[in-house]
Amino acid sequence: MRQLFGVSAEAARLGLYVGQKATDALALVPELVTAEAEPDADAQALTALVDWCVRFSPAVAADAPDGLFLDVTGVSHLWGGEPEMLCDFRSRLAKSGLPFRCAIADTPGAAWALVRFGEDGTIAPPGGQGPLLAPLPPAALRLETETWAQIERLGLRRVGQIMDLPRAPFGRRFGQAALTRLDQALGREKEALSFRRPPTPWFARLAFAEPISAPEDMARVTADVAAKLCARLEAESHGARRFELCFHRLDGKALPLGIGLSLPGRDPVRIAKLFAPKLETVDPGFGIEVVTIAAHAVEATSGRQVRLDAGSDAALEDGLAPLVDRLTNRLGPERVWRSVPVESHVPELSVGRARPLAPPPQAEPWSRETPRPTRLFRRPEPVEGVIALTPDDPPTQFRWRGQVHRVRRAEGPERIGEEWWKGEIGDARVGHVRDYYRVEDVEGGRFWLFRAGLYEADATPKWWLHGLFG
Amino acid sequence: MSDFRAGRLAAMRAKIAAIETSGRADSGVLPFGDPQIDACLPGGGLPLGRWHEITGPGMEVETAAAPAAFTALLAAPLALRGEAVWVLRRDDLNAPGLMGLGFPPERLIQVCARDEAEALSVMEEALATVGVSAVIGEVEAVDLTAGRRLQLACEKRQATGFLIRRRPFGGQARREAGGSAAATRWSVASAPSEPPAGEFGLGAPRFEAALERCRGGRTGKWLFEAKGAYDLEQRDGTHPLRLVAELGDRQLAPAQSLHRTAA
Repeated sequence: MRQLFGVSAEAARLGLYVGQKATDALALVPELVTAEAEPDADAQALTALVDWCVRFSPAVAADAPDGLFLDVTGVSHLWGGEPEMLCDFRSRLAKSGLPFRCAIADTPGAAWALVRFGEDGTIAPPGGQGPLLAPLPPAALRLETETWAQIERLGLRRVGQIMDLPRAPFGRRFGQAALTRLDQALGREKEALSFRRPPTPWFARLAFAEPISAPEDMARVTADVAAKLCARLEAESHGARRFELCFHRLDGKALPLGIGLSLPGRDPVRIAKLFAPKLETVDPGFGIEVVTIAAHAVEATSGRQVRLDAGSDAALEDGLAPLVDRLTNRLGPERVWRSVPVESHVPELSVGRARPLAPPPQAEPWSRETPRPTRLFRRPEPVEGVIALTPDDPPTQFRWRGQVHRVRRAEGPERIGEEWWKGEIGDARVGHVRDYYRVEDVEGGRFWLFRAGLYEADATPKWWLHGLFG
Repeated sequence: MSDFRAGRLAAMRAKIAAIETSGRADSGVLPFGDPQIDACLPGGGLPLGRWHEITGPGMEVETAAAPAAFTALLAAPLALRGEAVWVLRRDDLNAPGLMGLGFPPERLIQVCARDEAEALSVMEEALATVGVSAVIGEVEAVDLTAGRRLQLACEKRQATGFLIRRRPFGGQARREAGGSAAATRWSVASAPSEPPAGEFGLGAPRFEAALERCRGGRTGKWLFEAKGAYDLEQRDGTHPLRLVAELGDRQLAPAQSLHRTAA
């Protein structure tokens, strides 16, 4: 069945409503123009709008299907007050041609109600949403359709009437959810919004009178906005591990860039340098009007005394940390690592990768006594022509990469089984073992070979080369 | 030889050395602790603050297992003084193996570069960093310009570079570039080990290393043994590579040629 998903103001005046059958609507208004509903595209457009709104406040939460919340706490002074901010917001949004309504209130619930049922552009004074909400219908409380329909059926046509009711009987009659919604709207109960980006107080923005697009200008504003944020971090003895820079273009697109630091930092020059190579990936289009920067993973770091003693800590902060940051941001975090022990006896699982400057893990270090190869192949390579006495003797000859190696000395076997306790118990097999031999050929080449599986009288064992000792 | 002549010779040698080092501070040497080899090296040990080239014969050009093990042993004393960076093209370096040889893996940062040029630039950057004492890179070929850049990076902080020549993914060999800015060039191959009498299995790893080129020194060929490998005993601060005195093979006798390489 095809239904109306949304109607324009004109259509609503003709008596069409959401949820009406498309055939009924066409019968009523034969000249009706319809388009297919695209919920996915709507959601994407909403996300894009949320990203655009970050230019006003870092805390933006989408309210599917057609709304969004902006937490403007502490940012409206940048525009000179809430009315000015709302005015700027409206004028910019109007340029995009989207129909919209907006309101400012203390709580998300009150703002939601005022936007949908109140006057467009209402600004509720702090603590004054009660009187503004009172004349609105119960549907303004973000209730389930059945709940508000039932409330209206009982003759409660105004939120004000509900506010006057004794709480306990109301809660019993309409459920705890209805009470919660009422309290959330009036600010008696906190409401958590899921913001598009984790809200951070470490946020700075620069707006330009004229849009910029030259690469050198972008580099300069990056340094400026970083300096602005870092001055605050410095003042409060904090440092951050991640920075997200966002260029807001004239056409409403937001282009984010991110960098990470291995140690919490707040040196604007260093941060701007790390962003520098990524700036060329930003297409300024018709120009960039706002740039924002947010710091994540902020930690308290004590200011350090510079160059009083050239100890090892100083070396770490001055040399190694910037080096690791540069390499990590250039090559990607998976390409710069420190090998750390993992408690496993399976050779390929016993080496983990950690961030180079992370504190060492608690795992037991590798044993120095059990020889392990210098080069360990990611996938063992098959060896052929293996001559070995069954069941347990090391090979006396094998062929690898087309070359025959005659074994002179050998050690083994070292039997390594699978980690059966990690998988399904039904999949574990006694035969899932590898018998490793460390062998040396007549030329001196040292190899790490293994025979897969247990010895079986009628099957030829399969041999693999897993590593080279050199 | 008269005292006068000896004095003149010494003065001239010092002059030549000053020209060769172009007036930079002497960053010291890392002696092997055996006069047979230290005598061949300028200043009595492996020069620090320079870069060294390590190659391997045959299949080692692709796998670079023996050169990597030998380099880890050469760089192990340096890794105790500061951080070490190993720049790879193919990430098959096994840290437990390095640990077994006596190289501290907790001082090693591994970087996997995407191509040759990136590997060289990462090496340069690491060499010029405070707190990094040794940088090991696996590179297929290095031309004179890249070698000179590495040398300048080494001089910035007196870090020591080791360049392992490796073609990690096989393929056609690139044309050899003539000349090199390396302080020394070694060709390293595994050599059969000798377990102590009456013991089974393999002995300590042995390497046949030829010093093919050495600025301000002599070339030579030796048989080394990593005496502390796969042993729980802490080493006593001596170099992890020991020169094997007894040579079964005549060919391996230290080359006594007095041929000096033109630097």
